Amino acid sequence: MRADIALIDLRLRRRALLSYVLGMALYALVIVALYPQFKGATSLDQLTKNGSTFAALFGATGSLTSPSGWLDANVYENFLPLIMLLITVGYGASCIAGQDEDGTLSLATILPISRRAVVLQKTGALTVQALLLAIATMGCILIGRQFDLSFPLTHLAGLSLGVALLGVDFGLCALAVGSTTGSRGTALGVTAALAATSYLVSSLAPVIGWIRPARYASLFYWSVGNQQLANGLSLASVGVLIFVGALLTLTAVAGFRRLDLR
Amino acid sequence: MTVVVSAEKLTKTFGSHRGIVGVDFMVAEGEIFGFLGPNGAGKSTTIRLLTGLSHSTSGTAKVFGLDPIADAVEIHRHVGYLPGELALHPRLTGQQHVDFAAKVRRMQDRTFLHELVDRFQVDLQRPTRALSKGNRHKIGILLAVMHRPELVILDEPTSGLDPLMQDEFERLMRELVSTGATVFLSSHELDEVQRVATRVAIIKDGHLVVTDTVEALRRRAPRTIEFSFPRTVDPKLFASIEGVQVVAANGKRITLALRGAVAPVLRVAAELDPLDVVARPADLDELFLTYYRDQSAEEPVDAR
Repeated sequence: MRADIALIDLRLRRRALLSYVLGMALYALVIVALYPQFKGATSLDQLTKNGSTFAALFGATGSLTSPSGWLDANVYENFLPLIMLLITVGYGASCIAGQDEDGTLSLATILPISRRAVVLQKTGALTVQALLLAIATMGCILIGRQFDLSFPLTHLAGLSLGVALLGVDFGLCALAVGSTTGSRGTALGVTAALAATSYLVSSLAPVIGWIRPARYASLFYWSVGNQQLANGLSLASVGVLIFVGALLTLTAVAGFRRLDLR
Repeated sequence: MTVVVSAEKLTKTFGSHRGIVGVDFMVAEGEIFGFLGPNGAGKSTTIRLLTGLSHSTSGTAKVFGLDPIADAVEIHRHVGYLPGELALHPRLTGQQHVDFAAKVRRMQDRTFLHELVDRFQVDLQRPTRALSKGNRHKIGILLAVMHRPELVILDEPTSGLDPLMQDEFERLMRELVSTGATVFLSSHELDEVQRVATRVAIIKDGHLVVTDTVEALRRRAPRTIEFSFPRTVDPKLFASIEGVQVVAANGKRITLALRGAVAPVLRVAAELDPLDVVARPADLDELFLTYYRDQSAEEPVDAR
């Protein structure tokens, strides 16, 4: 399959994407560089002692001074997913609904290319953006091995894949809502609400008993919220994230086929 | 005669809002078909149904005998489309837009494209946000015709173009038709359409009110007669004559649109001692304004 539509979308977003990736990489470098100063700070662990819901709200549970705890609490359970979702949900909402609203989508939809192919190419562009951020961040975290941060490389790779799939899934959610409604605002609103709920459920599940069973419905749990850096990303998690992505892609294709364009 | 575009009872509604209702027409291969109507009449809605951008509520549309939705890819291979409200990516140059479309269309031969760039003096190097409306419009023209489509659908194609470029564009349309292409030209500008189109359809409030050749419409178009009298006259004296419509009555001056014989008008006027009379030939503008103003003023006519 050709990728002309994906390439032009990536070209249109390259400045914003580059800014996000550089910003995130810089932040990740600062976090790993700070670790030697904090690894002995046992007082930091008091924050999460006795299952603090306040700390859990910010994605911090368990030891904060272990390498995996430090990276989870400062990068992988909060800040990186946030930046990831800003990129992917923003793109998902704009690539069909947003472009239709500003009239530029017809530049592509009047060409001899099926609506299914348009959605698939935009899914491809979404995946590239998510992987770029995840890989760039992983590269900077790897430098952390020079700063006493030790962790299995496969676990970091798995977690990076998890966060990329998290971004792809929520981006596809925005794309599916946008393709079905034709409204960028609705796509952003619905997806932001789902993402926020998903984050809260995954973050609070370890400390609030009645939320715990609901964690299986949270994409954050399957991607970054289950101590993947310490334990690795399970095949089940990859399966769930890919299955949800496939389902959302099908929904987006079905919605876009029925959508009246401007 | 090969039919390139056809619409049968084509209807599109937007919730409780009217789009178009029961629209019937057909466009034959090799003709320039004018699609006229005031703003908001349903021209762009019809075009979106023909191009498969939008789904009809009921009725059928066919392009090359194919369904615009189910066979969109095949249809788009042979169609060029210039939207009424052309939107380009502001940060991309015209060249990038053209390259993108050419790649998707797998266009190998760019000779005609280069010829068009020269003819219309298109600036392809600057980002489109830095271009004037007219120059952006020229890029839209390139995108619509650079692949020598068999059917060109144009929605208000000359808006923003200067008169020289409008002439050039009309020449281009005639050239395309001379090589076998068909042009569907939507506009609210009568002058633009009557210069190039062989047949026209007029749409008003979502309903097609007439489809006919330009010549036949011209024959039916009213002549205009203006009388000046030495004193104020009652316009009802003329309004009661069959085939006469009082267009303007300003005391001593009266303007009539006349469809029938002139003798009854002259007889009435002679009794009133007219000072002056000016008669103008068939006025197509007046006919179109009649359709625009009041659908009931004319019975729907279809002279396909």
